[in-house]
Amino acid sequence: MTRSLREHLSAIRRIARWEIERSAGIVDRRTAALGAVALLLAGAVVGAGAMAGGVSLDRDIYRVGVAEDSPYHGPVERSVALEATRPDPDALRAGDVDVLVTDGRVRIADTPKGRAALSEFRSAVRSANVELMRTQENGSAAFPVVVVLQYVSRSSGLPDAVTDDDGGGGISGGDGGDSGGDGSGGGTATPTGDDSDAAADGGSSGPLGVPGLGGINPLGSGGSGSPAEIQPPFPFGSLVLAFAFLVPMNFVVQAYGSTMLNERINRRGELLLVAPVSPADIVAGKTLPYLGAMIVLTALVALGVGGSLVSVAAVLPIALVFLAATFAGAMFARSFKELTFVTVTVSVFLTAYTFVPAIFANVTPIALISPLTVVVRDLQPLQSVTPDAFLFATAPFTLCAGVLFLLGVGIYREEDLFTQRPVPLKFLDALDARVSRPRDVAILSGLSIPFVFVAELLAIAVLFALPVSLTIPLLLFVVALIEEVAKSLHVYAAFESGTFAGTRRVALVLGALSGLGFFVGEKFTAVAQVVGLPELALGQAAFAPAGIGLFSAAGLLVAPLVLHVTTASLTALGAKRDLRWYALAFAGSVVLHTAYNLTVVSRLG
Amino acid sequence: MATIRVEGLRKTYGDFPAVVGSDFSVDTGEIFGIVGPNGAGKTTTLKMLAGLVEPTAGVAEVAGRDAGDPEMRRDLGFLPEESPLYEDMTPRSYLGFFADLYDVPREAARERTESTLDRLELEHRERRLGDMSKGMKRKVAIARSLVNDPDLLIYDEPASGLDPLTTNYVLEFTRDLADQGKTVVFSAHNLYHVESICDRIVIMNRGEIIARGTVPEIREEYGTTAYHVFTTVPVAGAERDHRADTERYQAVVDDMAAVESIREAAAAADGEVVDIRTREQSLEDIFLDLADETPPEAAAGGGRAPSEAAAEEANAQPSDGGRTGAEPSNGSREQ
Repeated sequence: MTRSLREHLSAIRRIARWEIERSAGIVDRRTAALGAVALLLAGAVVGAGAMAGGVSLDRDIYRVGVAEDSPYHGPVERSVALEATRPDPDALRAGDVDVLVTDGRVRIADTPKGRAALSEFRSAVRSANVELMRTQENGSAAFPVVVVLQYVSRSSGLPDAVTDDDGGGGISGGDGGDSGGDGSGGGTATPTGDDSDAAADGGSSGPLGVPGLGGINPLGSGGSGSPAEIQPPFPFGSLVLAFAFLVPMNFVVQAYGSTMLNERINRRGELLLVAPVSPADIVAGKTLPYLGAMIVLTALVALGVGGSLVSVAAVLPIALVFLAATFAGAMFARSFKELTFVTVTVSVFLTAYTFVPAIFANVTPIALISPLTVVVRDLQPLQSVTPDAFLFATAPFTLCAGVLFLLGVGIYREEDLFTQRPVPLKFLDALDARVSRPRDVAILSGLSIPFVFVAELLAIAVLFALPVSLTIPLLLFVVALIEEVAKSLHVYAAFESGTFAGTRRVALVLGALSGLGFFVGEKFTAVAQVVGLPELALGQAAFAPAGIGLFSAAGLLVAPLVLHVTTASLTALGAKRDLRWYALAFAGSVVLHTAYNLTVVSRLG
Repeated sequence: MATIRVEGLRKTYGDFPAVVGSDFSVDTGEIFGIVGPNGAGKTTTLKMLAGLVEPTAGVAEVAGRDAGDPEMRRDLGFLPEESPLYEDMTPRSYLGFFADLYDVPREAARERTESTLDRLELEHRERRLGDMSKGMKRKVAIARSLVNDPDLLIYDEPASGLDPLTTNYVLEFTRDLADQGKTVVFSAHNLYHVESICDRIVIMNRGEIIARGTVPEIREEYGTTAYHVFTTVPVAGAERDHRADTERYQAVVDDMAAVESIREAAAAADGEVVDIRTREQSLEDIFLDLADETPPEAAAGGGRAPSEAAAEEANAQPSDGGRTGAEPSNGSREQ
């Protein structure tokens, strides 16, 4: 008898409620009270620090002797690292002050600390000047733009001199444009215009390495500024804030993994399985509280760092993948020891996968392989997130989470839940659990696309820094490897468990279905185009050979289908025999697939 | 009326047949026992009836529904061999959770829980389950199986690992449940439990049902009667009975014709028969004989050695991995 949606939701709600109560019961009152006190204390310390202007490890570490009526006094007062004291030449000699400002002259103690204090003093003065300039009505006069034109031949690339000769700032325009040339910039300009000592080595602080790629200070008050305001190519401030979204997840999944594995220890989950609820209800009910906790934590972090609903919506797929991967891990692990290994792996991999691309949020569309990039952009005042970019970043994660839950629920049954098999075999069981009819092979191949997509994007992200001539062949091989795994592993699992008869005809049918399913699913990678990834050479190499509509010829549309069916049939023929034959057939398929990719790229790319 | 109907039920794990084509039915209000050694397929059969394990082939129907139907489980109380409780909960909260899971109205659940715990004489209802003895945990597990007031109870080794006092209590409680009209199917490898409460039984060995019927029927069909004939003089086949105060000899034969022969032989030697005692085989003896007679090939289908087969099922079904009952069997029964 089919149960209604209402009955399913009711069962999920009941299980979720009891999961919360039971989890709460695990922590005794004394521990809970201590935890609450610790949380309050931590909050109080952070709050007090924030109210006092933030926590600074370098607060007042340099003493500057400067008169209160000196124009330098204000900048020193505003600097966190500088402390203004009475201008006493004896104090400089005695080492009680690091910098002395008297009669418009700046003198420093002849010590490393004195030189460091001078550098800090110079930065403080420079910042004060910029602030002063910002108050000017005539912005063009305050921040003149210097354009350096250099004519070069079209046949040659950009000469090194463009980036080197002018102090590293010459090629960019807009906000990040450097004055170019002398490097002294305005670094030592003072309110009085008299700063001979400080100007002595002022040129060293002028140019920054790679200006002009971002040029936006996410924490600043505006988009204009002097060269001193140029930011590194990554949005450091937003990135740090975005990282705050990931931190709580790493803790929540530990608790979630434990509660899921706990059902498998001593066969506790057996009694839930014999209740009038489905395995999906049980998993949903037990997952819901942890997903809820993650959403609440994400919302709180968003409130704290100034993120919008876009940030929360972008973090949600990450939370889902954290939970789904942990759930699948808890289904595969045989003990808490193995679970710890799984959850740590999940945490490290997902944190790295989401965080590292976000560093390049303002540099390359590849960064959008991570939903955290959307958060970083959302946190930057002058950046916006388009719907297609949002979809590109979040859809693969959401689909991956769905498929992982699907695989895990497939083995949430008595026969798999309590058996003690190594993790790889449990993974094969999970695949096999979803294959009972030939058409399931096609469906599973199609469902593997999100993982294939993510893996190929990861390969692009990892390899894109290498020279294109080396990277593209390597990438084509990796793409072939990933896709052949996706097309064949579940077929091998089904043969290995005896789901299908190991005949040649069955293998060919399954291989054809797998290739077809993969081909259809692969069309969904067309979403890559919406953010312009194929415009990159690597993106084109990764996605074009399989045919995502870039080729107009009908033959080339059919060619990927023929390829997928052929290689999948080859591996299926190997899989029907044993692991050794499967490995051999798999290797042959990868070679064939790589050759196809190379041919397409070299002739048409 | 049959509550359970099983036809051609079969379960294989890979190449290993755990249950080989079982057929039986269980009537409403009956206590039905499934008996067999470790690895016989008892637990697998019960789990197929409870919908926990999907049969490879055959039919398992409970109250007219397929055993895999979730709705069927609303009227089912299942007690596994172990008592896998959430040890951080109390009996009340644990039973409340399962009552909620079965959608039992809160007030009815509370009354039923308290009533069942009263009947089971379970105190310390607010103590953590992890702090309770094994017997108390078993009582909580039994109470959980009744929280939805099911018509069918499937108990896997209900007295497994319990002390004799608690065991007797559990068996009597099970008998009471049947008296209330509930159908009970339970497995055991302690045959004393089976003989004491079951209306009908099947004996399983290596996945196959090798005998079925009431206990007297099985005894009549498969058992033998031994005649212990005591004489005052030695006769052929007799041995000296050293337990007797006077000189006498004992011969054991299995039919009345042999008894007559001994009587004649004793008379010929100027002696006489002074006592004849009959001794019927116990269910355990019958079971052991039947198990010995079952060829491994017949049951395992693939010719695996019995120890290997048992080990494989124990591996596939850890809860069936076997422990012996706490009570001794009643052994031979003299009449």
